[in-house]
Amino acid sequence: MGLLSFSEVSVLLQKYRIPYCNQQLCATLDDALTFAKKAKFPLAMKVISQDIIHKSDAGGVVIGIANIGDLRNAYETMTLTLQKKFPAAKVEGILVQEMAEGTELIVGAKRDPTFGPVVLLGLGGIFVEVLKDVSFRVAPLTKTDAKAMIDELKAKKIFYGVRGKKPLNIDAVAAILASISDIMVKNNTIQEIDLNPVIADDKKAIAVDFRFIT
Amino acid sequence: MKALFEPKSVVIIGASAKENTVGNGLVKNLTGNPKYKTAADIPFDGKLFLVNPNTESIEGIRCYKSLSEIKEKIDLAVIATPAKTVPEILKQCKGKVNAAVVISAGFSEVGEKNLEQELVNTAKETNILLLGPNCLGLLNAHNHLNASFAPSLTPQGDVAFISQSGALVDSIIDWANAENFGFSKIVSLGNMAGLQFHDFLEYLSNDKQTKVLTLYIEGLKDGRKFIDAAKKCKKPIIALKAGLSNAGAKAASSHTGSLAGSAEIYKTAMKQAGVILAESMEEMFDIAKTLAKEPTCNNNIAIITNAGGPGVLATDYCEKYGLHLVELKDSTLQKLENTGKMSKSYSKHNPLDLVGDAVAETYKAAIDVLINESYVSGIIIMQTIQVMTNPYENAKVIFDAKQRHKGKQKPIICCFMGGEHSKDAVALLEKNGIVNFNDPLRAVRAMSALIKE
Repeated sequence: MGLLSFSEVSVLLQKYRIPYCNQQLCATLDDALTFAKKAKFPLAMKVISQDIIHKSDAGGVVIGIANIGDLRNAYETMTLTLQKKFPAAKVEGILVQEMAEGTELIVGAKRDPTFGPVVLLGLGGIFVEVLKDVSFRVAPLTKTDAKAMIDELKAKKIFYGVRGKKPLNIDAVAAILASISDIMVKNNTIQEIDLNPVIADDKKAIAVDFRFIT
Repeated sequence: MKALFEPKSVVIIGASAKENTVGNGLVKNLTGNPKYKTAADIPFDGKLFLVNPNTESIEGIRCYKSLSEIKEKIDLAVIATPAKTVPEILKQCKGKVNAAVVISAGFSEVGEKNLEQELVNTAKETNILLLGPNCLGLLNAHNHLNASFAPSLTPQGDVAFISQSGALVDSIIDWANAENFGFSKIVSLGNMAGLQFHDFLEYLSNDKQTKVLTLYIEGLKDGRKFIDAAKKCKKPIIALKAGLSNAGAKAASSHTGSLAGSAEIYKTAMKQAGVILAESMEEMFDIAKTLAKEPTCNNNIAIITNAGGPGVLATDYCEKYGLHLVELKDSTLQKLENTGKMSKSYSKHNPLDLVGDAVAETYKAAIDVLINESYVSGIIIMQTIQVMTNPYENAKVIFDAKQRHKGKQKPIICCFMGGEHSKDAVALLEKNGIVNFNDPLRAVRAMSALIKE
């Protein structure tokens, strides 16, 4: 079992048109500052390393960075902490990304020994952790299948707007599901995918964090 | 496949004169003289050959020493010799036999994977269709073919049953004879070294004698082929799947891995393939019978009953299975009143409770009014037995109504509750192909399978 690197995943996301945040993988503080000047605050910062799996526990995640000064502090603290805790870790870089607002979803895929690639959709947080409210489809799936997956969730009302909230962009979510299906069908080496979370609102659905297992 | 189900000739290799053996059971079954003989058991329509090097004749039929002594071509070979002899026997079948059922056990199920592979390779080289090994055999009630060691044949019908368990087939056959449930074809798949579920879905999709397919699945060898074949199949498929309890979902390296257990994926795949998953044998064959006999309809259902309690129960079940009970319009109630047959205290809403003193004429009036309403798509007719009730007359009225309203393509499912004194009525219904269950749950579940999505 292995993980695809950040750059390998980025190539796949672009090729299969899966939208992700405005983000940059930075090698230095200067890289981060240059990116931040053009970006929209608040920002989030995450360490990208195959050796650091639980990055929040490791001090490798900072969210809600409000300005350039905060970014500089967060970057320096994070690199210092990680150097102390994981001196031997190979670090691909520090990912700086614009923070997306909306409803958290999980989109994933795995290979089933009987049916082959299977795609999964769920709402993030408590819905998936506690209630296990998820739906599946055997790949390849069409956009109609993708929409049916939404309708099979117990919490489907959240997609269609509850308590005055705007509905989520169903087409954008369906497009991600179809793309994940496509990736699994066309790339036999990929065993499992987590896009967790995907953040969706009435305008968009974007992949914020991901893990591709080979 | 025709050689398998409609053979003009069959050879039993490993036929035996010894009572209570598989080789003897096969001979008796194909000569219409099985151990547990039923009305359905008459000799198979084609020609039967037997092979056993050590016996002159069995059941009055000549035994050949070997296959080579038989000069004719043979459609189907049924092989019941020790496992290690089977590949060699299959080689001898080359050019002479079109399909083979290997009853013999002792292959991959006991770890003999190489022997099974040899069998598969031989079947390919000799171009012979292979069913089994380690199977019970197959039956075609319509030409009295019982190429199995099951207890007997079944009544003829339009439901096919493909099973990964031979023992289940045995029990279903015995049950079918008791219940007079008709089957078209029954297949025991055994180890599925050759023919698998998807092959039979493809064939039975075009089989004139089969209207509905039922499956007992333990595990599929090729899930994708199954889904494709099920999607293409022109007939409804109902499956009972063993092992849907998801025991031991492995520790997984991703969220998705841990959330997508094999049971969930099976359920999803079946749904995607358009296969109805039944929870029990009873449910599977209830739905099969109903789909074979009744048209599908929109979700606008009315219930006619002569008792409140069962009507309430049925209403609960309707909610559980997503059946929509239509609201009866005032104009409909007026029509019911106009028949002059309604009791003063009839319910005036759906379920239409005709109350306990309903007689056959009351049922007749209610059925005619409701079935003529365009907003009613299907009817469940319930009957409980009280001193005022005449089940047989009620059954006759329902039968007549079905004839009268045939063109409307609206399903009617009966629920005659009780037992002893509704026997004749139930027999009349069943003889005429009217679907009846004694429990409102089963009636409602069956109706829910008829709803067009």
